Amino acid sequence: MTLRASTLQNWFIPVSLIVAWQVLGQAGLAPRYLSWPGAILAALWELAVTGELFIALAASLYRVAVGFTIGTASGILVGLAAGIIPGVRHFFDPLVSFLYAIPKVAFLPIFLLLFGLGHASKISIIAFSGFFPVFVASRHAVMTVNPLYVWTARNMGASPRTVFFRVIVPAAAPHLFAGIRIGLAHAFVVLFAAELIGSKAGLGTIISYGEEWVRFDLMFAGIVCFAVLGFVSDRILMAIRQRVLRGHLVGTEEGALP
Amino acid sequence: MIVQARDILLRWYSIPFLLLTWQIAVGSGLVESRLLPSPLRVWTVFIAEVANGALPYHAMVTVSRALAGFAIAAVIGIPFAALMAQWALWRNLFEPIFFLGYPIPKIALYPIFTYIFGIGAPSKIAFTFLECLYPIVVTCYFGFRGIQTRLVWTAQNMGAGRATILRRVVLPAALPSIFAGLRVALPVSIIVVVITEMIGDSIGLGFYINIWSTRFTFANVYAAIIMIGICGLILDQAMLFIRRRAIYWQKEAA
Repeated sequence: MTLRASTLQNWFIPVSLIVAWQVLGQAGLAPRYLSWPGAILAALWELAVTGELFIALAASLYRVAVGFTIGTASGILVGLAAGIIPGVRHFFDPLVSFLYAIPKVAFLPIFLLLFGLGHASKISIIAFSGFFPVFVASRHAVMTVNPLYVWTARNMGASPRTVFFRVIVPAAAPHLFAGIRIGLAHAFVVLFAAELIGSKAGLGTIISYGEEWVRFDLMFAGIVCFAVLGFVSDRILMAIRQRVLRGHLVGTEEGALP
Repeated sequence: MIVQARDILLRWYSIPFLLLTWQIAVGSGLVESRLLPSPLRVWTVFIAEVANGALPYHAMVTVSRALAGFAIAAVIGIPFAALMAQWALWRNLFEPIFFLGYPIPKIALYPIFTYIFGIGAPSKIAFTFLECLYPIVVTCYFGFRGIQTRLVWTAQNMGAGRATILRRVVLPAALPSIFAGLRVALPVSIIVVVITEMIGDSIGLGFYINIWSTRFTFANVYAAIIMIGICGLILDQAMLFIRRRAIYWQKEAA
């Protein structure tokens, strides 16, 4: 196996950053709050051995998974309905255009008071913030389906049901995934803010615990877990998209997205 | 006339309808009014807080931080993306950082920013810069790469120098994607500043929301939310206005 120059260049900055971080951190030349990779790995191991890591991970994962599923499912359902039925569209359009520009995190104190410090408040605010991008994407996707496709299918005697499942949904799918991806990114931002501002469990709690007790290695361990969780979720979503949209993406701009 | 009025009513009834339902639900005592103050109450608080200058002050703080981070990200990000599109070494060095780093929730890094830059404005601006940089660089990179080579060839054929090609061909051709990236990044900047102010600060709309919710005065929280919405709307409209001016040859619906 030969190493290509471009591969070497690809790895150059990340690897040298980590090596510099490790060397400077361990030698005590970097500020203490930066910790160093070795200590962070040790902290991760410590958290894993005591089992705290898995409890926190499970809490965060549970919140994201349930909240994101509720938000996405309702966003798709209402968005598709709004795209097809004018009555639904006229009800939701003004509401969404008003609420869309507002960061949903601003509602966090209200959700915290309504649903408490436990899972329910995080799940509901994640679902709330995930709804909007998915709604907008699916509404837009249905509205921009080429009417020729629908007419053609109708002309060949397809029932409204068949038209919906075999024409509208497949044609709208690429846009849908774009909206779902934004929803997923929002979910993690909101989760982080919610766990840091008011929570008793989850990765955010590990981070704030590390800050409070000046255990920067613990803080970074929480940050690393959070980043990995977000990254892996996005990759899974993209893998699902690749499978669902096989052939749809060839030669399009969306096929090249990172 | 009547048909038009009916049309407008059909399209816009939902907001007044919900506000009215809300007002009646609170007024009749069906809903706890501390948590869900009536729309009229929120409106009076909003007017009062705008009149006494509290909301405009915090909004100015939040918007100026957001715009500062956004502007630095734009000034650095656009040439950066152009270099990535043009120069293979630069692309190979930074592609993994931007493409693999893109889906990482960068908000997790915020605590480190507070240690490096302190709790005040610098950490917010630096973090907004980071969050805005990603969509700007990635979108602009695709924009610069997507420029049709025949445009460049044509200009070369007509004897244009490198500087002329950059200014008269490459930049105008990439402008739509540059604006697409900027338009994604602008609301991100507001969101990020509000979140980081909620996590820890003593001025700004995020702080305002936090402090009034700890005092259980939710009318002020809703007033601040309305203010954020207005700021976002104004910024987006300003961006669209600049876009229409800059890309005058392309008429595109928002």
